[in-house]
Amino acid sequence: MTTLTFPLSRIEGHARVIIEARGGIVQSAKFQATEFRGFEYLVRGAPAEQMPVLVPRICGVCSTAHHVASVKALEDAYGVTPPPLALTIRELLMLGQLLQNQATSLFIFTMPDRLGVDSLFDVDTTELDGDALAGVAARALQVRQAGTHLITLAGGQFIHPVKAVVGGVTGGIGAAAASAMRAELAEALPVACALFDTYWDYSVALSARLGTWGDDAPACYLTAVCGERPNYYGDFIRLMGCESGDVCAQFPAREYRAFLTVEEAEYSYAAQTSYQGHVLRANSLARANLVDSLGTPCANEYLQRFHREFGQPAHAILLFDLARGIELVYAIERAMEILADPLEGAETRIPYTPRDGEGYGLVEAPRGPLIHHYRIENGLIAQAEFVIPTVHNILAIERALRVAAERYITPERVNLELERAVGRVVRAFDPCIACATH
Amino acid sequence: MKRFAVLQLSGCAGCEVALLNAEAWVAQYRLVYMPLVVSAEDVPEVDVLLISGGVRTDEDLYKLRRAVKKAQQVVAVGTCAISGGVANLGDRDDVRALFLAEKDRPHVPRLLPKSHPADAFVTVDLYVPGCPPTSELFMAVLTNPHDFQASKVVCQECGRQKLKDVKPAHLLGFQQGEVLPDVCLINQGYLCVGSSTRGGCRAPCPRAGHPCVGCRGPSDVFIEKESAAWFTSIKRVFATMTNVPEDEIERGLRSPQLALFLFQFSDYADNRTVGGGYHPRPKEKVL
Repeated sequence: MTTLTFPLSRIEGHARVIIEARGGIVQSAKFQATEFRGFEYLVRGAPAEQMPVLVPRICGVCSTAHHVASVKALEDAYGVTPPPLALTIRELLMLGQLLQNQATSLFIFTMPDRLGVDSLFDVDTTELDGDALAGVAARALQVRQAGTHLITLAGGQFIHPVKAVVGGVTGGIGAAAASAMRAELAEALPVACALFDTYWDYSVALSARLGTWGDDAPACYLTAVCGERPNYYGDFIRLMGCESGDVCAQFPAREYRAFLTVEEAEYSYAAQTSYQGHVLRANSLARANLVDSLGTPCANEYLQRFHREFGQPAHAILLFDLARGIELVYAIERAMEILADPLEGAETRIPYTPRDGEGYGLVEAPRGPLIHHYRIENGLIAQAEFVIPTVHNILAIERALRVAAERYITPERVNLELERAVGRVVRAFDPCIACATH
Repeated sequence: MKRFAVLQLSGCAGCEVALLNAEAWVAQYRLVYMPLVVSAEDVPEVDVLLISGGVRTDEDLYKLRRAVKKAQQVVAVGTCAISGGVANLGDRDDVRALFLAEKDRPHVPRLLPKSHPADAFVTVDLYVPGCPPTSELFMAVLTNPHDFQASKVVCQECGRQKLKDVKPAHLLGFQQGEVLPDVCLINQGYLCVGSSTRGGCRAPCPRAGHPCVGCRGPSDVFIEKESAAWFTSIKRVFATMTNVPEDEIERGLRSPQLALFLFQFSDYADNRTVGGGYHPRPKEKVL
């Protein structure tokens, strides 16, 4: 047996890929998450109302999604409905997260694969052609920074935010701050579009060179957004069927067990999700497949082009990366729309009475639908469950790894392209290991 | 150009993301190793090594001991690398027994019996607490830490006004009530511990209307003293500024709600290495 081990980089957290082959025939391709901290265990006994401060620490990349999901889970348990302005500010917070994450994934994680470098910070010192790439690292960081500033504005801190609280948010956003943020986003928009255009061109060139966009067998898609003008704040989970390409199920977070099978794996600290034995996919491609129109001008144009060129649903995995760029543009445009309206003056939080019971909180995180589920007894967390988007993608990652392995491992030799292919496959799913293992 | 590396142990990557936001280092430093953004097999020789995350697995420990040999200067960044951070909440015996049993995995790095800070195993030259440290702090580390200007405590950086005649009778939970802008959170009945927490973060949480939870650890006044000192200090602040009964403050401070950071305050003064050596963290080495 030949066992090939691939350490991974330019993803969040610690993981590796193990591929086994016998006589040039691929036997298995496994994705191993190699870290674990034990959040579901260590939050037991914590006062329920502290969860919005504790759980962002599951992940510094996705802390906003955990923060908001946590507050929603408590509100579900307490029977509280926050006022409209609070919901708007939370949507803004989620858009900041989307912008920051998609910029990071697109430019810092996967752009180097298109350019043949080890790090985006190496680009300006290598021999690459002209204008489209001039100052690419600085421009990428500028776009990303706009996202972190938006999170800071709507969440207080850009990592581990604090402003969402049970019943609402701690305060509104003043006109001057909103207008300054809007100006920063307006400046970032053309920079983001130009970078994305370059990224799109380089992706097309990459797939032409490789002769593939990667694993393109049908899969089921899972997301909490859908249709026209999606709201990443999240309401229901939708499942697009493997065969039909239609939405075959729509359910609230509390019914997820009736549709999703989550199983532990003995070779990894991360679990894996499936749907009636089918491989599931979440993250950007799931949304591009289920969303018909984004409702903002530039992003919508990109989405229509995407649907036109690749179909709806589209299945090839390198399209996850392109779909991420569309959302990057969408997040900027949608945040600008929201910031044009007054975000102070109305009620931002309502009083509530804590009570024992169960609560579910759902948001559409950049990596897909995220569920927090708490059981509260005597005001303390008796049980907590985190249903993590990356976990929904694990089987899809392994299937795509196998496709790549079979392409590059022959009885004669292992093609050196395999190492790069493994990196591209994994990064297409933008997995977050801190979240997946928690 | 100086070279630096970031060794990510078990953590949330929040420190690395904060570092990315301090993009000004791009002009002064070459980042040669940080798996989050750079594909490089191993830590090469560097001027500065930043360590983030706690030592949770045997692989973490192995990587840590190998990496420090390559570095001129070793800096522990973030609460996890300094005092164990959030993973330390799992160090209650009952919790630990449970998850070590349930998470026994033969094919991935073994979990150590508990989570450790970096200096339990290696010598650290500089500590930068915070969950995560702000981008400004990261820049200070990479440029000139000795010139970094900060107030002693978060309280002095918050900008909220302390009112002499407003004295709450009871504590509010972190999530309760309408927060008044510009007025001290203690005046409003929130259990804010900014009065003894190390300054330098510029108080983003209290500014946003959320009490300080103490993620920067103890200020210089308390950092070399045992936990009773800061405990007493916080209680004295509340006794002066509020009419909240002392036992209610005591309960609040000892409740798990502040366990995440506050209970690690004591770890600063009484830091024992694995194997029994004693390593206090002198205030001169903490940014």
